[in-house]
Amino acid sequence: MVADIQSAVRKFWQTLGAIKTGVVLLIAVVIVSAAGTVILQRPATDADDLQRAYSPQMLRLLDALGLTNVFHAWWFVLLLVLVSASIIAASIQRFPNSWRYFSRPYKSPDDTFRKAAAMQAEIAIPDEETGLAAAERAFQRAGLKSERLVRENSFSLFAERFRISELAVYIVHASLLLIFFGGIVDALYSWSGFVALSRGESSSQIELRNGTTRSLPFSIRCDAAGEEKYADGTPKRWWSKLAVVDAGRDVLQKEIVVNDPLVYHGVRFYQASYGNTGKVEQLTLAAAPTDGRTASKEIRLALSDTVALDADTSVRFAEFIPDYVVADGQIYARSSQVENPAVHLVMESKKSGRSVDVWLPAIAGFEQSASSPYQFKARDLQLGYFTGLQVSHEPGQWAVWAGVILMGFGLAAVFYLVHARCWAVPVRNRRGQMVLWLGGTANRNRDSFEQRFQRLVEEIESEVKLRSATQQVEAQATSMAAR
Amino acid sequence: MARATAERQPAATGTALVVMVGLGVTFLLFMAFLNVVKSGNLLNESNLLYASLIFYAGAGTLYLGFGVTGIPSYVRFASLATWAGLAANTGAIAHRWYEAGHPPFASIYEMLLSFVWTLAVLTLVAEKRYGVKVIGTITMPVAIVGVVLMQLLRTDVHPLVPALQSTWLHVHVTLAMLAYAACALSFALAMMFLIQDKMTTETFLAASSLFTAATYAGILTRFEKWGGLSVVAWNTEEKSEVFLSKGVRLFVVIPDLGWLMAIVLLAVAAPLVFYVIWRKTRDGRCVEMANRAVFIGILLQALALIFFLLRARSGQYGSLDADGVFTTSLAASPFILTGLVGGIFVSLLYLLLLWRRQDLERMLPSADELDRITYRTIAIAFPLLTLMIAAGAYWANRTWGSYWSWDPKETWAAITWLVYAGYLHMRITRGWRGRRAAYFAILGFAVVMFTFFGVTYLLPGLHSYA
Repeated sequence: MVADIQSAVRKFWQTLGAIKTGVVLLIAVVIVSAAGTVILQRPATDADDLQRAYSPQMLRLLDALGLTNVFHAWWFVLLLVLVSASIIAASIQRFPNSWRYFSRPYKSPDDTFRKAAAMQAEIAIPDEETGLAAAERAFQRAGLKSERLVRENSFSLFAERFRISELAVYIVHASLLLIFFGGIVDALYSWSGFVALSRGESSSQIELRNGTTRSLPFSIRCDAAGEEKYADGTPKRWWSKLAVVDAGRDVLQKEIVVNDPLVYHGVRFYQASYGNTGKVEQLTLAAAPTDGRTASKEIRLALSDTVALDADTSVRFAEFIPDYVVADGQIYARSSQVENPAVHLVMESKKSGRSVDVWLPAIAGFEQSASSPYQFKARDLQLGYFTGLQVSHEPGQWAVWAGVILMGFGLAAVFYLVHARCWAVPVRNRRGQMVLWLGGTANRNRDSFEQRFQRLVEEIESEVKLRSATQQVEAQATSMAAR
Repeated sequence: MARATAERQPAATGTALVVMVGLGVTFLLFMAFLNVVKSGNLLNESNLLYASLIFYAGAGTLYLGFGVTGIPSYVRFASLATWAGLAANTGAIAHRWYEAGHPPFASIYEMLLSFVWTLAVLTLVAEKRYGVKVIGTITMPVAIVGVVLMQLLRTDVHPLVPALQSTWLHVHVTLAMLAYAACALSFALAMMFLIQDKMTTETFLAASSLFTAATYAGILTRFEKWGGLSVVAWNTEEKSEVFLSKGVRLFVVIPDLGWLMAIVLLAVAAPLVFYVIWRKTRDGRCVEMANRAVFIGILLQALALIFFLLRARSGQYGSLDADGVFTTSLAASPFILTGLVGGIFVSLLYLLLLWRRQDLERMLPSADELDRITYRTIAIAFPLLTLMIAAGAYWANRTWGSYWSWDPKETWAAITWLVYAGYLHMRITRGWRGRRAAYFAILGFAVVMFTFFGVTYLLPGLHSYA
C-alpha cells in the first residue's frame, strides 16, 4: 500500500518534470492567453461595451468561466503555478546529473572512452614531452584552459573552456521562476490608483482602480504643474513639482515628467495626465459705466467673490458654467469640460435692493440690459489646473527585474558559451608506435566545433613535425660534433 | 522523373514569369515617375522610398530570374540592387529622423521603414556570410510588400506624445525590429530547408493553394449582400479611418468586388481540390490540371488586385450602417492589399519551384546546413525577443506605472516568446531536427506576423500608437 503510494508519487513527480508535460502546459498557456486577447476583458472594457458585444447568455457563460477576466482568473494563476512546478521538477530531476558533470569533470579518459569518442585523432610523436607540449600550446592558443594530469607512469592533458555553459539552462529557468515569483507577489500585494492635485493642494488619499480609497502614511503635495504644447496643439510635455510630506516635514522634492516618476518608500508617482479642473481660479473683467462718466475699471474675481464698483453698486461672481446650453429659456450645464463656458454675474444695488443678472458672453435672450449702470466685458479667464498622478506600489518588481537581468546572462550563456573539452593522451598504438591520442567534445554547435577540432589537430601535427625535425637536426649535429 | 519534367518544360514558360514580374516593375516605375513629376523635389523622403521600392522590386525580380534561369550574374546584380535599395532606404530613414527629430519608431509607418531596412541588411548578411544565394527570392517580396504598405500608411511627421518620449522606447522598438527581421530570415531559411529536404513539389502546391485560399476566405469575411465587399471608410483630410463610435469603424461597400473575390477564391482553391483527388487516385493528370489551375489562379489574382486598386484607391461608396456616401482609400485596407499581393507572390514562388526545382536545389546550401543556419538565426532572435519584451516592460513601468498589464500586444509578444522557447526545448532536449523544426520555425514567424500586424489592426490596446 505504502509502496503503491510511493510509486504513484514518484510517477507524478516524473510526469511533472517530463518535457512533454512542460510543452503541453506551455501550449495551454498560449491558447488561454490568445483567448484573453480576443475576448473583451473586464477591467479594460466598460460593462456597457461588453453588453453590446455579447448576448446576455453568452456574457453570463463567459463570466462564469472567467473568460472575461482571463489573466486574473484563479485557473490562469493555477496554470502558471503548474508551469512553475513543472520547471522546478524538471530542473531538480536533471540538475544532479549536470552538477556531477560540472563539479567533477571527466579529465583522464580510459580505453573505453577513447574507443567510443566521436571526435578523435592520433598523431605520431617522437616522445611524450614533445607531443604534450605541442598540444598544450595549441590548446592555449585556442583559448582552452589546460592542465596536466598524472597517469600511472606518464602525463596526459585535459583542456576545456566555458564549463558554466553546462549550468546555463538552470540559470535561465531560475530567472524565469524569479520573474514568476515577482509576478505572484505583485498579483497579491500590489495596488495602483490615481490622485489629482491642483496647485498647492496636498493629499494622502489615493483612489484605487477598484473604487476604494487607500490612505498613505505620508502625503504628497503639488507645488506647481504645467504643460508645454507643440505648435499643432498636441501635448509635448507635462510636468509637476511634487513634495512628499512625512510627519509634517518636507522630506523629498522632485519635478516629475512622463517617464520619470517620483519614488518614496516603494510608492511611485507617475505623471499621467494634466488638465483643467473645470473651475475658475480668477476672472478678469472690464466694467464700464453705461453713462460714460468715469473710465472703465478692471476688476478681478474668484468664484462667489463680491467687488464694489462704486458706493452703491457691487458685482458678485455667482456661477461658472463650463459648457452651457440654452433650452426652454434656461441655461444648463451640458458637461464639465470647458468647451463653451459662460459666466454668471449678479450686480446689486444697495440703495434700491435691486439685483441684475449678467451673462458673459452675451447669450441670446439673456442680454445685458441697456439700463444697467455698468456694462461688462470679459478680459481673461484663468482656469484651475490639476495634475493627474498615477500611483502604484509593486513590491514584486525587483524580483522581476533581477530575473530579467539574470535571464539575459543565462540566455547569453546558453546560446553563445559552448563547453568545449579536449584531451591529449600519449599512448602506444597497435603497432607499438608512440602516438598522441586527441579527443574532443562540445555540448552545443558540434559541427563548428568539429571544424575547430580538425584545425587543432593539424596545428599540433605540424608543430610536432617541426619539433622532431629540429630534434633530428640537433641530434645529427651532436653526433657530428662527437665524431 | 522530376528532372525529366523540368527538361520537358519549355523555356518560354520561365520567360513568361520574368515578363510578368517585369511588367509589375514597369508599373511601379511608372507610378514612381508620376510621383516625382507631381512633387517636383527630387531628394525627398517619398522619392527615396520609391527608389528603394524600385530597387527592391528589381532585386526581387533578379533573384526570381536567377531562380528561373540559373545564370549566376543575376545574383550579382540582385545584390547590387539590394545594396542600392538599402542605400535609398537608409536615406529615407535619415530624412525622416532629421525631420522628426527622433528615431523613426513612433508609428507603424516608421517601424515598417526600420523593419524593411533590417530585413535588407540581414538578406545581404545571409548571402555574403552564409552563401544562401537565393534567400532574396523570399525576403525581397516581404520587403516589397512592406514598402508598398508604407506608401499607403505614410503619415506626416507627428510630434511625439509625452508617453513616447523615452530612450527605452527606442531600445524596445530597435530590439523588436531586429528580432522580427531575424524571425523573418529564419522563416525563409526553413522554407528553403523544406525544398532541400526533398519535400515533394505537390506538397508545396497544396500549401501554397491553402495559403492563398485562406487569404481570400479571410478577405471574403467582408462579403456583403449583392456581391459587395466592405472596406473601411477613410477620412482623407485627417488621414485616419472613420469611426462611428469609439472602436467601431464605418464600413463602405464597394459593389461587385465581392463576386470577383469569390471567383478568385474558387480558382485558387481548385489546385487544393485536385491535390486531394491526386492523393486518392494517384492520377498524374490531376497534378497537371492543378498546375494549370495555379496559372489561371495567378492571372485571376492579378485581375482582382488591379480591380481592387482601381476601385478602392479613391471613390465614394454607400454604407450599410450610415446614410450618405463616404470616401475610402487604399490606406484604409492594408490587410486586404497585403493579402492580395502576398497571394500572388506565394503562387509565383510555387511556379518557380515547379519549373526550376533542380536549379534551386543545386544553388541552395545542403539541407543540414540550412537546418543549422535556421537554428542559429533563432538563437539570435530569441535573446533579442527576450530583451525586447524586457525593455518594453521597463518602459511601460516608467510610463504607466505597471510593467505588465496583459494588453494584447504584450500578451502576443509573450506568446511569440513561448513558441520559440518551445522550438528551442524540442530542439535541444528532444533533438528535433529537420522537418519538424522547420515547421516550428514557420509557425513562429506566423505568430510574429500576427503580433506585428494583426494585433495592431484587429485587437484593441495600449499600443495604439503602433
